[in-house]
Amino acid sequence: MPLIESRSLTHRYPGNILALDNLTLDVEPGVIGLVGANGAGKSTFIKILLGLLEPTSGEASVLDLDVRRDGTRIRSLVGYMPEHDCLPADLSATDLVTHMGRMSGLPAAAARERAADVLRHVGLYEERYRPIGGYSTGMKQRVKLAQALVHDPKLLLLDEPTNGLDPSGRDEMLGLIRRIGIEFGVATLVASHLLGEIERVCTYLLAIDAGRLLRAAPLASFTERTGTLAIEVEDGADALAERLSGGGLPGRVDGRTVLVDVPDEGAYVAIRDAIADLHLALVRLEPRRHRLEDLFQDEATDDAA
Amino acid sequence: MTRLDPAAGPPPLAPAAAVARADASGVGGVIYDIGYRGYDGPRLGRRAAVWALFAFSWRAAFGLGRSGRAKVVPWGVLAIISLPAVVQSAVIATVGPLGARAGGGFTYDNYLFRMSLLALVFLAAQAPELLVGDQRQRVLSLYFAHALERIDYALAKLAAMVVSLFMVTLVPLLVLLLGQTFASSDPFGSLRDQLGSLPAILGSAAIYVVLYSAVGMAIAAFTPRRAYAIAAIVAVFLVGSAVSPLLRRAGAGFGDWTLLLNLNTIAEGVRHSLFGGEANGAVAGASLSGITYEGMALAVVLVGVAAYLWRYQRIET
Repeated sequence: MPLIESRSLTHRYPGNILALDNLTLDVEPGVIGLVGANGAGKSTFIKILLGLLEPTSGEASVLDLDVRRDGTRIRSLVGYMPEHDCLPADLSATDLVTHMGRMSGLPAAAARERAADVLRHVGLYEERYRPIGGYSTGMKQRVKLAQALVHDPKLLLLDEPTNGLDPSGRDEMLGLIRRIGIEFGVATLVASHLLGEIERVCTYLLAIDAGRLLRAAPLASFTERTGTLAIEVEDGADALAERLSGGGLPGRVDGRTVLVDVPDEGAYVAIRDAIADLHLALVRLEPRRHRLEDLFQDEATDDAA
Repeated sequence: MTRLDPAAGPPPLAPAAAVARADASGVGGVIYDIGYRGYDGPRLGRRAAVWALFAFSWRAAFGLGRSGRAKVVPWGVLAIISLPAVVQSAVIATVGPLGARAGGGFTYDNYLFRMSLLALVFLAAQAPELLVGDQRQRVLSLYFAHALERIDYALAKLAAMVVSLFMVTLVPLLVLLLGQTFASSDPFGSLRDQLGSLPAILGSAAIYVVLYSAVGMAIAAFTPRRAYAIAAIVAVFLVGSAVSPLLRRAGAGFGDWTLLLNLNTIAEGVRHSLFGGEANGAVAGASLSGITYEGMALAVVLVGVAAYLWRYQRIET
């Protein structure tokens, strides 16, 4: 069963602001990163998946439930951690998480028991009996995560879960997400504008920009070898590129680096000889890997062109 | 629990998850981190969620499960609004029934009209208590992401307000009823008489409660600031009751119609037209028909509830 499916999903906010543009994707269970700059449409996508926002056109389903028709059912099976503050100051974490369990339809006793469980899993112990108003940002984020997890959701939607955290708080939150997603086996979608964080927790990546899907693939394929060799030299990158293309190895120059597609082993010999003949000082010679950032840089270049 | 036999190899349950062994003196055995447990029990869905929210909000209206400070207003109001009924019942019990000359005594007909200020205090404090925090602290975005709809949230909160206020207004009337009953030499016969008043008791309380709740909740729904909500609720009630007699006396040509600016007078007019008894306040000398009060009350309740529900359909989370 696909976790999330969408077909030509499009959403326009009033004022003709296009937030999602013809998004078609299929996502299988796992820890899924949803990455994009601020305003790329991540939160809009999540709200549509929750059935809170009716898409302008197109279809979407979560756990085989249609977002337009089965919103209530989806929301009882999905856990949602909003990006912004959403906790009442005067309740204790235990009371809030229990209450939110009941709001998902859990019986009272089950809600209490699971609230105690998930608060322990997110690392809140004695302090969970104190009012949330006195908590640190890190503790509040944990409560937000716990309330999303209390009803044993089939899918967790986390919107910028490391928002407002200091570096060690980020590490802990990412560790927690990884544990929930991989060890506990709860399918999780993490939306973030920080590639570095997404990389650390996810197995699958959805990259969106300006409401369009850039790429959807397992994380590994984003960073695999590209078959391109990067040759960095002190001076004369242009001369080297000229020489190589003369020898049937077309490349492009990027600063002091020449990027060459390597068709076979023999190319290495040709490159070595070219550098030696030109008396160039070789700084680095390495196979190029995809970098996540390239996704967005390539896109930006295309737009500029 | 018996100690596991070390010779039997690793314990069968989650061996890798054993996090701590009991210390040397411990006889108990092994503590297991049982890890994450799923939930396979019943998921009761929307109806159960709405019911749970109603119960949660009703408890919040009385400060139950909250700090001591949250209990001051609801329980203080309940104590003060009941006090005259308790005192009068005590007097009746010790010196006998109030004579005809003690015309100032409390009855089912005049109790709520005289005590309406306390009902207003409860409403002005607790309607914002139920609604304002969820807006200001954006808890609404959590609620709406759960198994209940916007309208469910609004109705559960409204029902919680109605039921809480109903209890606050009903308690003193029941104290009066019990006082009358047990002061009599024939409590059982008296109880039968008094129970005949029960529809009037429930009915008059319901009139005040529904009118008050509709207005108070509608106002509280429109601001995320508690102080503004309190001020606005108090203002709507008090300005109405202050302006209405002034305009009437000034003879601005509206005559008795000015009574309809005062929510208390409207409630009293409806009560009097439906259940009779003595007319209180301005209603006594006014020539408006019962249907006028009833129509006005219905209009206020409908407009209030409609505005309230509209707000929760539209509100941004």
